[in-house]
Amino acid sequence: MSCNALGQNMTISGNVKDNGTNQPLPGVNIIIKNTSKGTTTDFDGNYSLNDVPVNSVLVFSYVGFVNQEITVKNGSPINVVLLEDSQALDEVVLIGYGTQKKKDVTGAVSLVSSETIQDLKPVDAALALQGTSSGVTVNSSSGSPGASFNILIRGISSNGNNAPLFIVDGYEGSFNSINPNDIESISVLKDAQASIYGIKGANGVVLIQTKSGKKNSKPKFSYDVYTGIQETTRKLPYLDATEYAILINESYANNGQALPYPNISELGTGTDWQDEVFDTAPMTNHNVSLSGGSENMTYYFGAGRLEQDGIIARDKSNFERNNIKITLAVDVSKKIKFTTNANYFSNSRKGFSENTLGSVLFNALNYSPLFDINEEDVNGLLGNEVINPVSQIRNTFNAYTGSGLEGNFQLEYKVFEGFTATSRVGYKTYKDNNKSFSPIVNYGVGKVFNNARSRVDQSKTAFNTYTWETFLNYNKTFAEMHHVTATIGTSAQRNWGDGLYATGFDVPNNSWEFADISLANGLSDAKSNSSYVFDNRLTSYFGRLQYDFMGKYFISGIVRRDAASDFSPDNRVDYFKSATAGWKVSDEEFLEDSDVINLLKFRGSYGTIGNNVGADLYRALLSGEATYVFDGQLVSGVATGVFPNPKAQWETAEKLDIGLDLGLFNDKLELTADYFREDRNDLLITGLPVSGILGTSAPGSGNPTVNAGTTRSKGFEFLISYKDDLSDNFSFGIAYNFTNVKGEVLSINGDAIPQGGAFSVGQQAPSRMEVGQPIGYFYGLQTDGIFQNQAEVDAHPSQAALGAPAAPGDFRFKDINNDGVINFDDRTNLGNPQAEYLMGLNLNFKYRNFDFLTYMYAEIGKEMIRNYERSQPNVNRSTIYLDRWTGEGTSNTVPRVTTGATTNKLFSDFYVEDASFLRIQNIQLGYSLSTQTLDKIGMSKVRLYVTVNNPFTLTKYMGYDPAATSGAAIGGGIDYGFYPISRQYLLGLNLSL
Amino acid sequence: MKRYLKIIATLSMLMIVGISTNSCGDDYLEDVSTYNIDSENYFNSEDDYYNALVAAYDLLQASYVNVILGEIASDNTLCGGESANDVVGWQQIDDMIHTPVNSNLRDVWNWMYAGVNRANYILEFQDKIDFEGKNIILGEAHFLRAYYNFELVKWFGPIPLKETRFQLGDETTIPRSPIEDVYALIESDLMYAVDNLSYTAPQTGRATKGSAQALLGKAYLYQNKFSQAANVLENLINNGPYDLVQDYNTIFEFAGENGIESVFEVQYTDVEGAGFGCLQCSEGNVAVGFSGVRGYSGPLFTPGFSFNVPVQEVVDEFEPGDLRKDVAILDIVAWSEETGAQYLTGYEHTGYFNRKYLPRVRSAEAAGDLNLTNPNNYRAIRFADVLLMAAEAYNRGGIDDNKAKLYLNRVRTRAFGNTSNNVTSTGSALTDAIYHERRVELVGEGHRFFDLVRTGRGTEIDGFTANKNELFPIPIEEIQFSAGNWTQNPGY
Repeated sequence: MSCNALGQNMTISGNVKDNGTNQPLPGVNIIIKNTSKGTTTDFDGNYSLNDVPVNSVLVFSYVGFVNQEITVKNGSPINVVLLEDSQALDEVVLIGYGTQKKKDVTGAVSLVSSETIQDLKPVDAALALQGTSSGVTVNSSSGSPGASFNILIRGISSNGNNAPLFIVDGYEGSFNSINPNDIESISVLKDAQASIYGIKGANGVVLIQTKSGKKNSKPKFSYDVYTGIQETTRKLPYLDATEYAILINESYANNGQALPYPNISELGTGTDWQDEVFDTAPMTNHNVSLSGGSENMTYYFGAGRLEQDGIIARDKSNFERNNIKITLAVDVSKKIKFTTNANYFSNSRKGFSENTLGSVLFNALNYSPLFDINEEDVNGLLGNEVINPVSQIRNTFNAYTGSGLEGNFQLEYKVFEGFTATSRVGYKTYKDNNKSFSPIVNYGVGKVFNNARSRVDQSKTAFNTYTWETFLNYNKTFAEMHHVTATIGTSAQRNWGDGLYATGFDVPNNSWEFADISLANGLSDAKSNSSYVFDNRLTSYFGRLQYDFMGKYFISGIVRRDAASDFSPDNRVDYFKSATAGWKVSDEEFLEDSDVINLLKFRGSYGTIGNNVGADLYRALLSGEATYVFDGQLVSGVATGVFPNPKAQWETAEKLDIGLDLGLFNDKLELTADYFREDRNDLLITGLPVSGILGTSAPGSGNPTVNAGTTRSKGFEFLISYKDDLSDNFSFGIAYNFTNVKGEVLSINGDAIPQGGAFSVGQQAPSRMEVGQPIGYFYGLQTDGIFQNQAEVDAHPSQAALGAPAAPGDFRFKDINNDGVINFDDRTNLGNPQAEYLMGLNLNFKYRNFDFLTYMYAEIGKEMIRNYERSQPNVNRSTIYLDRWTGEGTSNTVPRVTTGATTNKLFSDFYVEDASFLRIQNIQLGYSLSTQTLDKIGMSKVRLYVTVNNPFTLTKYMGYDPAATSGAAIGGGIDYGFYPISRQYLLGLNLSL
Repeated sequence: MKRYLKIIATLSMLMIVGISTNSCGDDYLEDVSTYNIDSENYFNSEDDYYNALVAAYDLLQASYVNVILGEIASDNTLCGGESANDVVGWQQIDDMIHTPVNSNLRDVWNWMYAGVNRANYILEFQDKIDFEGKNIILGEAHFLRAYYNFELVKWFGPIPLKETRFQLGDETTIPRSPIEDVYALIESDLMYAVDNLSYTAPQTGRATKGSAQALLGKAYLYQNKFSQAANVLENLINNGPYDLVQDYNTIFEFAGENGIESVFEVQYTDVEGAGFGCLQCSEGNVAVGFSGVRGYSGPLFTPGFSFNVPVQEVVDEFEPGDLRKDVAILDIVAWSEETGAQYLTGYEHTGYFNRKYLPRVRSAEAAGDLNLTNPNNYRAIRFADVLLMAAEAYNRGGIDDNKAKLYLNRVRTRAFGNTSNNVTSTGSALTDAIYHERRVELVGEGHRFFDLVRTGRGTEIDGFTANKNELFPIPIEEIQFSAGNWTQNPGY
């Protein structure tokens, strides 16, 4: 029997699947242990092996999976499910012209994977960074559909451009044209390691890798859809008609004027203009993808469509986006690999006036509740800017459409093992059309939005870029100890484009249907068209040498030479350099066998990077405005534009980062922590104030932009995560990140104080950049309660220099400089629009077939200016004015109301609020069909989920959205009534075959 | 060995690719061909000079602020506006409590220097090419530089001078020239213009020989150079094509623009839009919208911001029977009763408005913001002004009181529609009569403050401090930029 058994050989067949995806695994190696005999699985994961001796051991192995050994007992089929090897599947980050294992990284890099994007399902991939990556701030100026996002990496260092560089598969791109569903991973280079990107990397580099297929894999088809409704996250409590009339009466009475509303008993609640403009709105997103690969090629195909209507005026505020993506990689020969991908992108958008004086929400707040829904302010009661917001929406007509193609071609030649030459061309081309129609309207006497002549404005712009890069990578280990990776290369980049703008007058029938220049035959005596072109080029050489000893001690150095056409020929070349070092303590003998610590690494980096701002500053173009009237006709001449600065050059960042990576309990607990400091030198102070004798205030001219400032930002950040499988049925993960960043202006030449932003009308700019303060801090008067009686007024220095003497009920302003007079010299620091602390928390649980996740995001220690209150006597107010001062002891925070001259409306801390907030971004509950059920219906994944985006925002801020900002370095955080972010209730389905 | 060959082959390939990519390295950067013409290689044709001249004219439109402040600073009007905080810089000037910190004064400084630089740009390149008629363009450029420098010297006294464009660093090295030197340049610029221009301009709105003569006479008068002033103004009166318009009322309506009385007129239009972000960019007369009646609805006029409101005293300055009063001053209460016009009251409401420069009803094509684009031309130098300046020169210079009376009475005859109100006095009584006449003839036209100051009567203005308020302070920013090169005007 035993002899028989021993001598018996049989044929074994079966199937191999991936535990994670439940997909068949092709190409799995199966060998009989201690022999060379074996086979591989076919396309469907099936295999068959002849002549297998009983009691022999089959070894199933596949890259990235844990080997499995099974002893052959009899001839029945052996089906195997392979487990992914978390060690082997080391996360890889992009570092520019190469990749690096996350565990070996010596710079500061944040990594966001496609899983996070899957979880968050952001309409824009920028949102996938919010709250998930330490040191990264993501804000938007608007919750309107299609609004763009501002990304900051480690705060604001530049008074000008703080946007990071976006590199998509090697070309310069952007988030908004990429379908988030097509993204495989996002790496964010936050420190001097980014100096491989030279003159463009100082604000950090966001490297996006899009999805591609896997070799030897069956076609995988996925369909993802979600749909739902949106509503506003907030409405502001404002006075109703009766409360309003009482307040207005009181303000007239306080100035000795007759009561405008002597009878208030019948006024009721009036019109709630916020209710009139806010609405619920649908949104839907579809995505399909197909990917796979054979022995010699891989493919990925993806398509997506997003439709989102706005929560204000659905038909006037909406967004559609379509993406089609194809990625192909072909092994032309054993040595040559060709890769190409192409992303077609189209979008269309409608919108209306936002976040400015007289914008829709500004008007919804200020318009009188006594007016009927269709009633205009015919007598100009509310000043020149405040008009009926419902009429304003009705009279808003515009359409924006744009489409583009982007992608790359890459040829990789493996000269020999470890030595690769790569040449690639990345490109992006984008064209858009914009049309807006201004009908003949009259909103009442003196309104600035009155339009006596209909017009249609049309424009076309185009943007193109290509980057051609050629580089060599050499990777070799000498004597099994010295590991060297070297990269050298060259790059040429060109960004160019043009724009054409024209206007037609007298649109037939005063109607949007006829709004086209071809039909609008009216002429204007003024020039009604314009254009621009630009062409910026960059040539670069770069090199990087990475060395590690035994995988324990790491050093690297980077040099990049850039020459940019933006600058004067004598002054356009610079070299950017950086060095990094790391020590993986956990691989030292004394920790090698630790059960607790499996990774402990110290690392540091230091170097310089540039910020390529300010094209053509070195010469005066003939772009000034020169229009005058001869013979009763407008004539246009030629004048010089912005005052030149021949010495203008880029900004240079000097970055230091010291970090720690820790992995405990087999990487269940991971910690990454960094201290960072950046000095941004040669800041280009745009429009650095210069003497008026230079003539820079001429129309179309401007003050020169001069490298004249230095800032320092420093802080620390950490990311801590824990994940565990508590049982077969229950697993969970939690991740928390924290960033503290503080900026300060170290110097500005000539004691200039660049200012920006606006508060109310005709007041001094509220934001400034000043030595010793953070960029863009708020500067104004500080209140010290309210004068309760005349004796208190008399006891305080006169405030008359501010424009009006104080009366009881008015703000008592602090005499900051103690000179016995209250005037504008008593202004001081009232806050900073940049948060001091950023935090993100995300949690996920999986229990049996259910999954739950939530993402939260917080910004702590920032202020915002409440600037949506028009300082006109008859506008509506917030309910905070119900608690106004009406006599001694009634209020020490909200001043009296009066139509007379008062200093209460001057920019003071009364208008600056703590805008710290905690936002639950996403709560999601999903249910997936079990593997058994999936097998029956022949699918690999079916998941149904419900999600609520932005369910709660905890904040003391009174306005619509504490997270919003215009993004301006000087002048950000000023709220004219930001379009609030929407709360979204979504139902979704994920299917995979 | 094979391996090294491969490395060499690859490196050479890389170099070839790299070089071709970069088109011989940084030469790739030189191929950029957008906007090759810049400020330093311009002026290659007659058109280039003409186009640069248009640019130099452009800043005249920004002198609206000089005009309205010339009234607000004087005893003619109060600042007004919406509230005591509305345009604080103007309010302070009205109350004579202005300091070097005043963005509106800075506008005057900045915008007039912008004009100086645009004129200097042409003059700096005046010899680059030659063409027929270049002397006319250069003549106008000289006139414009004189016009802007004259504004600057009126407002600020000694100012830095240069005959080419100012460059960065000049503010720390070029001193403020004494007033005599500033006037010397103004005079020589205007003499060049007088010599090269004719009485008829190639296009309406461009400066003529008459414009230059009038401004030269004015510049002399401001220096009390009475005989030179009398000479040049006499020449202008006798040889120029100018005369008084019969009906004073028609001068300030659109139909009266660029009429026979207009010796120099700043041109405005409302065909192009404007915004608060760049008031100096407006092609309209910003001062007009600011002077308009707040919340006005009714005939003839359109609303504005209720600044620059005349006081009772200037209304009372008109003699009975003076036909000019109802043209110059709008009594809104009476007008409202007569026509049913509606209006709101602003800050410092006096019931009067500067009717000459009130916003009129506009065409349907007018571009917004309508408050900032009023097309009312500014009659900068009227022939009536020329006559009164000549009269003043003859009288105060002790040259010929009869001539003085002749010119004064030409103006008065028109004003009253008869000769029975003619002045017969002589000497200082005649001087006072001329001063009175200037005030009522030219009220609302921006001359009053400077007329008071140059004749030593500044203290007639409430709050005026002698030996201080004759000049406005140099903007604090300019003092700072000059890094000690310029000292502040006395008293500030």
